[in-house]
Amino acid sequence: MHFHRSNRIRVLVMVLVLLFLCACGKTAAPSGSVSEPDAEQRTDKTIFAMDTVMDLSPFGENSAAAAEAAAERIQQLEQLFSVTIETSDIAKVNAAEGSPVEVSDDTARLLQTALEYCEKTDGSLDLSIYPVLKTWGFTTGEYQVPSEDTIRALLENVDYQKIQLSGSSVQIAEGMQIDLGSVAKGYTGDQVMEVFRENGLTSGMISLGGNVQVLGSKPDGSDWRIAIQDPEGGEGFVGVVEVSDKAVITSGGYERFFEEDGVTYWHIIDPATGAPARSGVISATIVGESGTMCDALSTAFFIMGPDRAAEFWRTYGGFDYLLVMEDGSLIYSEGLQDCFTPMEPWSNNSITVVSK
Amino acid sequence: MKKTSFWVILICVIAALSALALLWQHHQAKADAVIANVYQDGELVRSIDLNQLTEPETFTVTGPAGENEITAEPGRICVSHASCPDQVCVNMGWRSDGGFPIVCLPNKLVIEIESAADENPIDGVVG
Repeated sequence: MHFHRSNRIRVLVMVLVLLFLCACGKTAAPSGSVSEPDAEQRTDKTIFAMDTVMDLSPFGENSAAAAEAAAERIQQLEQLFSVTIETSDIAKVNAAEGSPVEVSDDTARLLQTALEYCEKTDGSLDLSIYPVLKTWGFTTGEYQVPSEDTIRALLENVDYQKIQLSGSSVQIAEGMQIDLGSVAKGYTGDQVMEVFRENGLTSGMISLGGNVQVLGSKPDGSDWRIAIQDPEGGEGFVGVVEVSDKAVITSGGYERFFEEDGVTYWHIIDPATGAPARSGVISATIVGESGTMCDALSTAFFIMGPDRAAEFWRTYGGFDYLLVMEDGSLIYSEGLQDCFTPMEPWSNNSITVVSK
Repeated sequence: MKKTSFWVILICVIAALSALALLWQHHQAKADAVIANVYQDGELVRSIDLNQLTEPETFTVTGPAGENEITAEPGRICVSHASCPDQVCVNMGWRSDGGFPIVCLPNKLVIEIESAADENPIDGVVG
């Protein structure tokens, strides 16, 4: 077959045009493919509540309505749990001078779960530590190191066993004060997941002031990648944990602290001493299905230290944990082996995997 | 005849090269951008590509409890001054490639770095 000269040129020009199209198609591909995982509708909402910043990222057709409903639910719970809002259930219990107070279902349910963890952790979690926390200045920012006598006197009224809950009636001893700071955000996370589900969603992520909880998997079906903050501050991460349908909650000494005479004092108080917990742990992370449990245990494990934490985990199970120690070593339970990847420099440090 | 083929091939080669150049540029731009987003009460008030900056830039964001002075430099950003009592946002220091966002609670200010377009982006940070 023989092409006429002009025909031949025409074919070549067409090839040329095709080449250009291909090339353009390729350059356009990256921006096109980026939007693909987000093709499903997504809503991002930031709210300020419970003394922290909260990011809600529900995915799906109904995500805008779900985010609104979740924000409302959070505000509602804050009105019940806040120790500083005078009309809250907790403020009323604290102001009752020993007489019983009727509380909402949410408060009763959260108190019941929290008290179970106070019991199981042998008082390392104690809802009545609040007056000690206040005296150290961690609730106001007016930091001070209280005298030993002051602490001893305050500890007289720290005892979760004197919190009586029967049905929706709460009674605490006179002179006692309670707060739900160690569990309220965890419970709120569980409730937000519930709101997402009620709105027909199957995928979403929330961060309630650094407490992360995820519903389902990412819209593309893969696990959520949650980084654990470097407890020494700055921008680094200890590592990344990959999860679905889980809460990941960390308690760290770096979150709120002050220094005096070269000593660092952080806000996690050991109820046994009335002073900042010194168990060798600088950050305790719990990975589990219940936000309330993860929140309660992250505080408790920070205080309990590695030996008691391992003992607790072997006894009760149902979750996984990671401790970052002051010497830079990592200790974690065996369930994290498959889903946790430590990053440098932590990955070069001593790593202990705790098994049953 | 021969001449035509030569020109056509040359044009094809140029076309292919420019396509490659475009691709490369696109890739570079994506990899090099470090976007800092500044939010006040959930609203995006500034979005800066820190790697496009050539000199430091300072601006002020006003919130319910006062002002935050923010300094952006080539590659990094921080809250340089704040009128709030606790100074937590100032103490959080510089951010250059992500990590936990800078937060000033009293002024409802959040500064977040968009995670770079790497292969395994992080969805959330717990801390």
